[in-house]
Amino acid sequence: MKIISKEDFQNFINALIKDDSLNVIGVKSRGTKFAFGPLESAEELRLDYDITLLPPKKYFFPQRETLFTYDLTDGFSAKNPEEIKPMVIVGVHPYDIVALLHMDEIFRETKSDPYYFKKRDAAIIIGVNIQKMSKWNFSSYMGSAAIDYGYDLMLTDLGNRYAINIGSQKGEDLLSKYAKNVTLALARDIQVAGQKKREVMSMSQQKFDFPPELIPELLKDAYGKSGFWEKHSEKCLACGSCVLVCPTCYCFDVKENLDLSLEQGERIRTWDGCLLEDFAKIASGENFRATRPTRYRHRYFKKGKYMFDAFGFISCVGCGRCSSNCLPDIANPVNLFNDMYHESLESGEQMATVAAQPEVKIQTGGDIDYVPKLATIIKKAPMTSMETLFEIKLDDGSELSQKPGQFVEVSVFGIGEAPISLSSSPTKKETFEVCVRKLGNVTTKLHRLNVGDKVGIRGPFGNGFDVDALKGKDLLFIAGGLGIAPLRSLINYVLDNRKDYGRVYLLYGCKEPKELLFSDELLSLASKENVEFKPTVDRCPESGVWEGNIGVITTLIPQITFDPEKTIAILCGPPVMYKFVIADLKKRNVPDDHIIMSLERRMKCGVGKCGHCQINQIYVCKDGPVFNYSKIKGVPEAL
Amino acid sequence: MKESNIDVEVHHITRVEGHGNINVNIKNGVIEQCEWSIPEAPRFFEAMVVGRSWNELHHITSRICGICSIGHTLASLKATESAMGIPISEQDLKLRKLALHAENLQSHILHLGFLVLPDLMGVGSVIPLASTNLPEVKTVLQLHRTANEMSTLLCGRTTHPQRLIPGGFSKIPSMKELILIRKKLQDSIPSIQAVAELYKSLAGRLPDFKRETEFISLTDPNEYALYDGKLDSSDTGTAPVKEYLAYTNEYIIPQSTAKWAKHTRESYMVGALARLNNNYKNLSPMAQKTAEAFNLQPMCYNPFMNSIAQLVEVVHSVEDSIRLINELEAAGLKPQPDYNKPEIKVKAGNGVGAVEVPRGILFHDYTYNEKGICTKANCIIPTNQNHGNIQLDMKSILPQIIDKPQKEIELTLEMLVRAYDPCISCSTHVVKVNLT
Amino acid sequence: MKPKVAFFDFAGCEGDQLQVANLEEDLLALLGQVEVVSFREVMKEHSDNYDIAFVEGSCTRLQDEDRLKTIRKNAKIVVAIGSCATIGGINSLRNYKDLDTVKKTVYGENAKLFDSYAARAIDAVIPVDAYVHGCPIDKEDFLQVVKALLVGKKPETTTYPVCVECKKNENVCAFERGQFCVGTVTRAGCNSCCVNEGTICWGCRGLVDNPNENSHKEVLIKYGLTVDDAISKFRLYFGWQEAKR
Repeated sequence: MKIISKEDFQNFINALIKDDSLNVIGVKSRGTKFAFGPLESAEELRLDYDITLLPPKKYFFPQRETLFTYDLTDGFSAKNPEEIKPMVIVGVHPYDIVALLHMDEIFRETKSDPYYFKKRDAAIIIGVNIQKMSKWNFSSYMGSAAIDYGYDLMLTDLGNRYAINIGSQKGEDLLSKYAKNVTLALARDIQVAGQKKREVMSMSQQKFDFPPELIPELLKDAYGKSGFWEKHSEKCLACGSCVLVCPTCYCFDVKENLDLSLEQGERIRTWDGCLLEDFAKIASGENFRATRPTRYRHRYFKKGKYMFDAFGFISCVGCGRCSSNCLPDIANPVNLFNDMYHESLESGEQMATVAAQPEVKIQTGGDIDYVPKLATIIKKAPMTSMETLFEIKLDDGSELSQKPGQFVEVSVFGIGEAPISLSSSPTKKETFEVCVRKLGNVTTKLHRLNVGDKVGIRGPFGNGFDVDALKGKDLLFIAGGLGIAPLRSLINYVLDNRKDYGRVYLLYGCKEPKELLFSDELLSLASKENVEFKPTVDRCPESGVWEGNIGVITTLIPQITFDPEKTIAILCGPPVMYKFVIADLKKRNVPDDHIIMSLERRMKCGVGKCGHCQINQIYVCKDGPVFNYSKIKGVPEAL
Repeated sequence: MKESNIDVEVHHITRVEGHGNINVNIKNGVIEQCEWSIPEAPRFFEAMVVGRSWNELHHITSRICGICSIGHTLASLKATESAMGIPISEQDLKLRKLALHAENLQSHILHLGFLVLPDLMGVGSVIPLASTNLPEVKTVLQLHRTANEMSTLLCGRTTHPQRLIPGGFSKIPSMKELILIRKKLQDSIPSIQAVAELYKSLAGRLPDFKRETEFISLTDPNEYALYDGKLDSSDTGTAPVKEYLAYTNEYIIPQSTAKWAKHTRESYMVGALARLNNNYKNLSPMAQKTAEAFNLQPMCYNPFMNSIAQLVEVVHSVEDSIRLINELEAAGLKPQPDYNKPEIKVKAGNGVGAVEVPRGILFHDYTYNEKGICTKANCIIPTNQNHGNIQLDMKSILPQIIDKPQKEIELTLEMLVRAYDPCISCSTHVVKVNLT
Repeated sequence: MKPKVAFFDFAGCEGDQLQVANLEEDLLALLGQVEVVSFREVMKEHSDNYDIAFVEGSCTRLQDEDRLKTIRKNAKIVVAIGSCATIGGINSLRNYKDLDTVKKTVYGENAKLFDSYAARAIDAVIPVDAYVHGCPIDKEDFLQVVKALLVGKKPETTTYPVCVECKKNENVCAFERGQFCVGTVTRAGCNSCCVNEGTICWGCRGLVDNPNENSHKEVLIKYGLTVDDAISKFRLYFGWQEAKR
């Protein structure tokens, strides 16, 4: 531990500010509150603050950030934004440092986020121990009121001097370069510093009535708690304040911005929040978390259970910003969990005394690439009034090498990006196919493009079907409407490797005959390849001709015979279809783990970060879109 | 060629703010009808603010006009501050004067560059000029941009300014920002000279017309009055602002949803020409030089010269803004808290706020009860005050141009209206006739 | 082929059209992408042949309805610009007063000469394809809508409240400063510009689609506003929308 007088510390800060190669940021007053901002002189620094309006995460994961800019005037050229000036951030409280450590793990998981880490690596963190604690802060309960790691330098106010703990070589070097009169700590300094630390531990005005480590256990039985979530969320304004000020929230939206030339533009990402009304809405208008109680509940489960199960930590550092910013005062986790605890006590539930440690399997990989690859439309075949099949080839000549069941993010520059399932099998190598329904801005514009036009492709994303596990089995494909498009990738794969698989059934239903996709292709396959193909329509209008089955898709199931033990059912269709088809399959004794499905949600990043595709603890883009029913039948938001 | 039957029906005259109609019927060389009428939808602001609170009125009345929002807001604030005895600091006073200069600049440049210039260049709008005279158009846009940047710096934005609040400003610029805008103003002087040169070359196309009338404006012995001053009439001299009703005498005209006004004569004029006529000696040195270059000296009775008077005021506003910023720099800018909201002691009272907006003198008159709720309001808009003058000018000029072709008569009458730079949708805000 | 655009105004202050003129150099860029065939405030020419019509101002008289219907017939796309056109705006303040009293207050005995009814958004009379909210409109917002229309995209509407933008801009909440704000139920898209300038949100962009009005009114009262004042605050811009609900 080192010591520096307050005067020498001021000089140290001013010396940093004077160095033009550094961005010096510190806690300043704003009105009656505080915020991190650029320092013009050491006098502005307010290390005695209680809490800042926004956490320092805004420097690493900014409110708005350009992912890349592009220029269409010469083909397409994309540019990642420029270099980062090194920054020194002065005055970070321990709970905000812990939050940054949470964020580091989050942004590294699966694929690393280069935008975040570029800034993180360029920053030097000078922390300060808490002198005043906001009345909403409960960081001492979350283990983040004090920390001996995660900073480059850590200050403790000892009255007329600061104690400095050195946390890294970077911190040591900074001190020796810019600070004068730094001495070693004496025994009295160590004693006072220790006393200050103890004081911090007793500052919290919030009080948990139970050990908060048990929050994941408490949440286990709380999902469907009758009336509980409705009661707590009744006053919710869906304003998003609680999540926007949170140091561990990381959901974002991706938008496209053209300039007036209509030829140059940028793709940006900006903070988003799961409490906002349209967070889980897709182009068709379906909203998977349409009500306040469902959204409100999701936040607590995400922080208290899903993150815990995935990473091993409760994703809350107890800063209290959510509580202080909630106008109707319903966002305080302490109040909510205390209420949950008391309710469970009263109902006589047995709660574990120790939280079960989750099996944490974090995978890390290379960097995420947000910049799409350029591709060309090779073929365009309208199939119905709403759907068109596109055949696309990557301009750099590489193969997509997708697994059946994966999807790509298709960019129409100037409009946006949309996730579309791959409709072709990887056995078809040089090109790939997507079947696009005209629904929102991107898909509508895509329909107006022609052969030779350019699009951007990112991916393939998702887990895809496990084609090896299906080997030797009989396969019962059940497709509803547009659901045939992703299934086709697997169907074609299976047919290209026919000898590896058993019997193949395909049940396919649409509302009307004119909506059937790939019908000619499927019929011809059926006659050739030992495939039992049964189509159906809900109704046939007078103008149409239809000789096949009339009725919803479930009416086809009794018409086929199959051995449930040998057969794997593979489903894809509109959300409403799954419930009924699964029920009928169960009646035929199909085991749970013989049912596989592909689900759809709103997907922006494709790599499990932006949060839009979350179904409870699952990211559809990363853990799916292909799911085994036995794994998700317990997931309430899935079906 | 003399045409004996001419009908000029301009419905919704273009290149003015708001809707106004010119109806002229000449039969066999005899003028049967010569009418300037306002069909603009009435908006009833004086009734809307009754029952609203003192801290809302400036926000509501700002919406009277999109172009002179700053002026309306300031007149409104002055009325409230006068009614409740709320003081304004020296610094805030200077900043408010700067805000008014910014508005004057923005509005006059828009008028000169977009609304009047096309007539002098013989085209229908500034849009073709963007192809034939791109450098001049770019100059106008650049000046307009500087004026808007200045408005934004002081008020938050040009239209419906947020920073202007009872008692002062919710946020003030930093000295650094003021110095930057001062530099922009200084750098804009060559551009203004270029516009002046252009106008000088076209000034011959302004009709040489004269009709004696009364001019009403604010006046102050020590400065060219825009923000503060006494009421001044070129006929009767000065009076306290509180006595405005004696001067403005509004009355209703059937063809018009806007009321008209008169004082010593059948009509009077407000606006840049009125201000210049009443306060010439207080114009900045460069402004006076500009006026001299156009032979514009008091008393000028040619309403078409109102546009030139606006040009002179542009020069004055730039020079005077630089002076104000210099004064602020010398005194040092006192900081104020973020999200400033001055403590106001609410009490009952009546107050009148008068301010010169680009188009002329504007009055807001409010009465509050002890809870600070408005019980009565009266707004007199500059354009209202000009309607009578426009009508009489039209009647006077028509016989002088009656031998011209129809198209020329139409253009001259339109140019006459445009010279006044009317703001018609504001003027249908109208004032109460009977205050018994 | 550049699309033809036209500007129209009804009962309003023309501030939104001024904002278009305030695009400055961007105006030149805009003119490179569209052909302006009618813009009364700025040009003499007029044509009834236009693809996109921008309409400012509320409909406040029966005679305005015919003009609106003609515009709807002539245009492929109608865009309402500014609060007066999109939600009734400040004009709707007077809807809560007895109209006869209002007319008499302003015009005295001549009141009967002036025809007027409850001020309303233009979509009360004709279908509208896109909205640029705000009093005045934000220039960037306007350009976003124009660009979207030019590339054939349906312009995005924000469905979340101003709080989102206020938090991103790190403002100190109005309620924490002893003031009363309606941003919690007001449609975002302005980047919380008024709070950024040190004041509050007055609600000029209109209510979000599903506001929790009761909760918001409770918040206002919890922080010290009376019930009447809370209701009055909602009438400033939400008058027409509330009456519709």
